[in-house]
Amino acid sequence: MTDLVAEFAGWLTDFLPNDYYERYSEYRWDLGLRRDHQRAAFEAGWLQPTWSREHGGRSLGLADAMQIRLESAMRSAPKLPNVAGVGVAAPGIREFGTAEQIDRLLVPLLRGDEWWALGMSEPEAGSDFAGLRTRAVRDGDMFRLKGRKIWTTHAHLSRWCTLYARTDPDAPKHRGISCFILDLESAGVTIEPIRMASISDETFCEVVLDDVELPADNLLGPCNGGWQVAMSSLNHERQMIWIMNWVEIQRGLNSVRESEATDDYAAGELFAELGSLLADAEALRATGYRALTNELAGRPSPEADILKLLGSQTLQRVWELAAAAAGPRSIDDADLLFERQDALAATIYGGTSEIQRNIIAERLLGLPKG
Amino acid sequence: MDVGLNSDQLALRDGVRDVLRTECPPAVARQAITDPERWRSVWKTVVDLGWTELALPSADTDGSFGRMELTVVLEECGAAIAPIPLLSSVGLAAGVLRAAGAGVDDVLGDIAGGTVAALAVHPPAHRLPGVPMTLEGGRVQGRAVTVPGLPRAELIVTLAASADGPVAAVVRVGDGVIVHDAECTDPAQPVADVEIDAEPIALAPVDLESALATPLVAAAADLVGVAGATLARSVEYAKSRQQFGKPIGAFQGIKHALADNYVALERARGLTYAAAARLDDAATPHAAGWNAAALAKAAAAEAAVGCARAAVQVHGALAQTWEHDIHLYLRHAWQGASTLGDSRALYHVVGRRFAGSAA
Repeated sequence: MTDLVAEFAGWLTDFLPNDYYERYSEYRWDLGLRRDHQRAAFEAGWLQPTWSREHGGRSLGLADAMQIRLESAMRSAPKLPNVAGVGVAAPGIREFGTAEQIDRLLVPLLRGDEWWALGMSEPEAGSDFAGLRTRAVRDGDMFRLKGRKIWTTHAHLSRWCTLYARTDPDAPKHRGISCFILDLESAGVTIEPIRMASISDETFCEVVLDDVELPADNLLGPCNGGWQVAMSSLNHERQMIWIMNWVEIQRGLNSVRESEATDDYAAGELFAELGSLLADAEALRATGYRALTNELAGRPSPEADILKLLGSQTLQRVWELAAAAAGPRSIDDADLLFERQDALAATIYGGTSEIQRNIIAERLLGLPKG
Repeated sequence: MDVGLNSDQLALRDGVRDVLRTECPPAVARQAITDPERWRSVWKTVVDLGWTELALPSADTDGSFGRMELTVVLEECGAAIAPIPLLSSVGLAAGVLRAAGAGVDDVLGDIAGGTVAALAVHPPAHRLPGVPMTLEGGRVQGRAVTVPGLPRAELIVTLAASADGPVAAVVRVGDGVIVHDAECTDPAQPVADVEIDAEPIALAPVDLESALATPLVAAAADLVGVAGATLARSVEYAKSRQQFGKPIGAFQGIKHALADNYVALERARGLTYAAAARLDDAATPHAAGWNAAALAKAAAAEAAVGCARAAVQVHGALAQTWEHDIHLYLRHAWQGASTLGDSRALYHVVGRRFAGSAA
């Protein structure tokens, strides 16, 4: 362990309650603890380790930052309460925002004082994100927004939303989209939470925009440059997703190991799949590092594109194995039910597995578009 | 831990790849199936270029030839389906010897100089490699099956149980060694069963897990190469073959199968490089090194067989023909997958160990 990782580990240990690991299944839902953890991480510079001190970091290199993230994952640090804000909106604001936008928005986001939602999906635009229909029409210094967003996680608890809308209906579909910073308290915004099938607290919302007026200053990035903002932001998300998957996979593997079953099927039948999942977990880590090594050396890192697909598939398999290992006890285990349901979301959010396979086949292997 | 290739290793890879492209196109593997002597000219080139020196723990005074370099070279040879005993002699046989004591150093030197050795570690009726021989009264005795490269070898490296624990033993092919040639899946890389009752020419004590770890990683590297080359053939064909008015690679049925092949390939490559790096790190405990090597071998075999099977599907009826190259890759993949433990058996062992370990 490097001095830096040791310093981080010491900080985290000091922060966490003494009984954190014994009562993890309760603490994982403790919003107060998770909020406190985010703020403390921001102040200590562990939240976005590559960023400057004022933005919750320590100006670390990518390799050090990954070590911190992995250490944090291995120690099951409290999950960020509004991960879309820190993981997706914040990198977008930092990369594309004006000085005024960064100055107003970034610190409250990173401290967790203001939550963010991602206004991407629409009823008719899921994987086909570029087919979105929400319109933004210029009107002097303003834009007028009309449309409907859905599966917008945490909109009901958020102050802001990165909202993607069509600003040029005549341009090819990828080139007529802009990204706006929408104050969700604006007139004409209606937010309806959608009840989740699981006990997830990452509640979806429907967001209806009925002639919402938005100052032109609220564009994030250039007008009609929304596709680039989205792709860059999602790229940040994908880099975080595999580490999130990886830690959940570790938890699932431990759950298999702790199975109470004692009959003939308790163990032997599970071992080969367990070994295969251990290989997946190690492959994720090794490939994540290999991609980083290439990135640092200025070489292409195509292997990074497998991380989302492999991580999400592995996550599902590991929790199914955990359910098998638990036998009938899987039926009355609410935590396990949640893990299995949550794992099923992993091959959907942040770009479905089908889209990931298209990306690998077309961009990496060079196969023609369908 | 840094588990990518550095620029020296990338240069080594490119150099090896260039040599093989001219010296060893797939047609050479095809010729080796029917001509048992075809491998010799390629082998001479390989020995002259010094690739066999990778058998030694470090060929340079700065110790820069580690398992990572061996991995890089074997991956390229696998990609070329080169019908040479580099894997069987330098990767497998020398791989065991480098984990053994000083008693076998001279043999390592011979292998590094181009003498061909084979590794006999499959006891009859076992899925996993083990200790097929005994050492008693100064004689190595026992039977081993499917010894990779044995028909081309002068020396046999094996593992034997002795009163003082397991040893790596070396015998010379000749008196007291009966080789049973067999028809094998991949005749370009022939294997044979062996019965031994002979005095060893060299002996040294070994730790079994440490002895088998390097061979497992070497076998993994070869299979990663096969997987990558096979996938490249599928991609090339899927871009050019037209049906329903467009390349078949434009259909998601093909596209997604090949994307999954790519995931399996990079998963295996990641594990293989990581395992090689672990074995090069003297601080790695033997059990952890063996686990990493076993997972790499299991994953690489899955990738190679998966890519080869998909290649057959993508090439359709063409792949059923002798004239087309795909069966050469498939044969190599299937044979390699069953060498040193099939994937399920290897996964099983590592899974069992994990389940039995403390949380």
